[in-house]
Amino acid sequence: MSIMDDARDKWTGTINELTIGATRADGGTRTSVVTIGGAAALPFMNFEGPTPRAPVVAMEIWDREPDDWAQPLVDVFGAVLKSPADWAKKCVEEFGADMLCLRLAGTHPDFGDASPTQAAEVVKSVLKAVGVPLIIWGSDHDEKDNEVLPRCSQAAAGERCLIGAVKEDNYKTLVASCLADGHTIIGLSPIDINIAKQINILVSEMGLPLNRIVMYPTTGALGYGLEYSQSIQERGRLAALGGDKIMSLPIICMVGQEAWRTKEARASLQEAPAWGDEATRGIYWEVATASSLLQAGSDILVMRHPAAVAAVKKTINELMVK
Amino acid sequence: MKTYSITFLPDNKTIEAAAGKSVLEAAAATGIAVNSVCGGDGVCGKCRVLIKSGKVTAKPNMFLDRLDIQRGMALACQTFIDGDVVIEVPQESRVGGVPQLATEDAIRYGSISGWVGEGALFPHNPLFQKVYLELPKPTITDCVCDQERLYRELRRNRDIGVMQTGLAVLQRLPDILRQNDWKVTVMLGRRGQTLEVVDVEPGNTAAYNYGVALDLGTTTVVAHLVDIGTSKTLATKAKYNSQISYGDDVISRIMYASTAERLTQLRDLVVNDINDLIAGLVVEARVKLHDVSIVVCAGNTTMIHLLCAMNPGNIRKDPYIPTACSPPTIRAAEVGIKINPRGLLSTLPSVASYVGGDVVADVLVSGMMRSEELSLLIDMGTNGELVLGNKDWLVCCSASAGPSFEGGGITCGMRATNGAIERIQLGKNGDVLSCNVVGGGKPLGLCGSGLIDAVAELLKAGCIDRRGRYDRAACGSRLRENESGGLEFVLFTGRETALGRDLVLTEADINNLIHSKGSIYMATESLLDHVGMTFDDLKHVYIAGGFGNYLRIDQGVRIGLLPDLDPAKFKYIGNGSVQGAKMALFSQEALLNIQEQIAGAMTYMELSTSHKYMNEYSSCLFLPHTNIEKFPSLLSGVQKEAEIGVTG
Repeated sequence: MSIMDDARDKWTGTINELTIGATRADGGTRTSVVTIGGAAALPFMNFEGPTPRAPVVAMEIWDREPDDWAQPLVDVFGAVLKSPADWAKKCVEEFGADMLCLRLAGTHPDFGDASPTQAAEVVKSVLKAVGVPLIIWGSDHDEKDNEVLPRCSQAAAGERCLIGAVKEDNYKTLVASCLADGHTIIGLSPIDINIAKQINILVSEMGLPLNRIVMYPTTGALGYGLEYSQSIQERGRLAALGGDKIMSLPIICMVGQEAWRTKEARASLQEAPAWGDEATRGIYWEVATASSLLQAGSDILVMRHPAAVAAVKKTINELMVK
Repeated sequence: MKTYSITFLPDNKTIEAAAGKSVLEAAAATGIAVNSVCGGDGVCGKCRVLIKSGKVTAKPNMFLDRLDIQRGMALACQTFIDGDVVIEVPQESRVGGVPQLATEDAIRYGSISGWVGEGALFPHNPLFQKVYLELPKPTITDCVCDQERLYRELRRNRDIGVMQTGLAVLQRLPDILRQNDWKVTVMLGRRGQTLEVVDVEPGNTAAYNYGVALDLGTTTVVAHLVDIGTSKTLATKAKYNSQISYGDDVISRIMYASTAERLTQLRDLVVNDINDLIAGLVVEARVKLHDVSIVVCAGNTTMIHLLCAMNPGNIRKDPYIPTACSPPTIRAAEVGIKINPRGLLSTLPSVASYVGGDVVADVLVSGMMRSEELSLLIDMGTNGELVLGNKDWLVCCSASAGPSFEGGGITCGMRATNGAIERIQLGKNGDVLSCNVVGGGKPLGLCGSGLIDAVAELLKAGCIDRRGRYDRAACGSRLRENESGGLEFVLFTGRETALGRDLVLTEADINNLIHSKGSIYMATESLLDHVGMTFDDLKHVYIAGGFGNYLRIDQGVRIGLLPDLDPAKFKYIGNGSVQGAKMALFSQEALLNIQEQIAGAMTYMELSTSHKYMNEYSSCLFLPHTNIEKFPSLLSGVQKEAEIGVTG
């Protein structure tokens, strides 16, 4: 017997594994797929249990040209912002993206009001342009999402996309589509682990199994609720590792959108001369937010700036070394 | 100021009211109690009236649709007199009828003989006694004064401490004694540590000694007339608290009572109710009002404040301090209660602002403080009160459940009176298989137990999901969209209801119920957690409160209102308030027990400072609960494997 008790935690639960993307062999057209989950301990704590799958960074692209993105983002992508397919290609070919998150921002009634058919065309064009798996995200307008997302789901049938997000009071339409077209789904909860669990129950009770759901517990950027989101995420993960199967689901974080919303990321040098170079400030902000959330068990980080993506991927690779 | 004449139909009562008065105020002045959950703030939509003719001005509101307004429908509190008008107050908008609780309650729980009397737990030693005395006449050698002569005789074979007699009695005493040949009946009332000679009556009237046990509820006032000598209940009556027109819950009453004038107004309203009840009781039991000498009242802290016209304002404000938890025994006439003019009014002590004498009475009646075993008591009303403990300790808390158990905040909600659906059974697609209506006939609305039934049955039929949202496919044609864009389920079409209006249950209604039941369940769990215990430690669960009697345990469990325990552990205790008041009336020892062993020993836990309550409340906003493993009896085999397959 050793003098000191073994201080390592023992866990009973394992996070569900989930694969996004389907190759020809599986009935899709993807050239690569991404598998997440499988963790049997807190992230990167190999002495307690394995983190078999590295967290994945997905690069965020839009169906329309963003009109409010910070200058460093506009500069790095340039002309491709006008074409979702070209944008997707640039992310994969130039910046090495493993996965893309296509946001259908232009379908929002107040920001373009693109039709479901137009949105489905965009989805098809992106799937055609690149071979990586795809996350499809609506415009966060419930009624419009219920028209748009089923059409996009259909357009991507068999590709095993990750589609979102469903909420407690609006999930039935999208769950039915994902069931029919073989996709996986994102459940959104407003920083509340109880509601997160409720969504998982509601979706699975419709017949979409728990191993096809990813949780989005909402994200706060550094200085804007990061601690809160980190602790909620961690509480959820601890419950899962403790054996709560309904919470044993991978987690997605919207890092880019939150980090680039902060005034620290956006302010010009003239506006905030003491804050340093505006070309790199936002990148650091995105990296800091992402690296923190990794520790709480994020499985997918949706990010914007290629330099931040590269830095976080490097961090992940280093943390994954046994 | 200009005044107009206002006529209310179908009562055909007319009143003069100043221009600018609200219809609600005018109705109240006429003695017509119009429903008003919000106390006239225009936010509950329950005070619908029909303007038949005349001129009014109305503020816009969101409760009436175009058709309603065309028909002349208006909200009484948002409509103001601007000319002579004729107004119809439909039945659905009235505080009316006799609450269902009274009679059946009396039959089921009328007897407390097991508690008080010879060989029982508490001796028969009433708070108010009549003693017949034949006094020795004074002589030159036995020359103590009249008062002392009375005291001496009383003390001859009784152990009596401090005694007092009012001046008014002393002024009459010499004549009464001498005119009746020194044969008199002394009325003795217990006032704290002092025994008062309340009055002295000629001859032997000891057999005519009656009292009233009163349950002074926020919604209902229940009165039992008892024969103090025999401990028998002679008659029971109940009516709705007329203060309802000034708010459904204690908070809105407290807010209304913000001036001395309004405080007195609320006091008078409830005192009138009490007087109505007592007047009815004495007629029914054929006793003289003069022989009713004591009223013992159990009520929540706010109701007792209002009865005594003590300022309740601080009950509502942090840190929630009542004026008095144990007001003194006073003469009933001081607040306007009409019994024997020298008769007494005693109230059962409160514990805190939101745990009142009604709960203390429940505890007494449950007997939980005499058992080694751990018991939980739940008094379910607008304010849910919970008590946990055994013979060594008691801890309590109060959970604001909202008015949905009383039918408030529910589109077709109503109190448990004639026309209320108290039970309902639904089949596939939510088709109504059977339904019990209070008083028989066509249904008018859903009361608390009917609402719980309906939601539990919809859940069982798969018509709603576990968040309480309708499933279009499962509901079929009974589901429709209402004017505000929400979904509603038609339980009964207009043809099948008493008022010809569709009886619906909206998603918002279900959501309100989920919040109410969630707060009760979470309070229960927090209270147990506070003392380091779990549901498994509970041996008994007592359900109190008028509404509680009609609650079906299995349905309460199904929606997650009650913990999933062996049904044999649940017991209804009926109207504990009125029974507890009665026990105190019959036995000073019971009152002492209430004061010292119950109210005095109960620890109050403030839920608003409980982290557990705040963190986990949202897990209760699900049917029955987010963590289904807390409700093992509701799990199907497959679910069991999937949901609680915790390994290791």
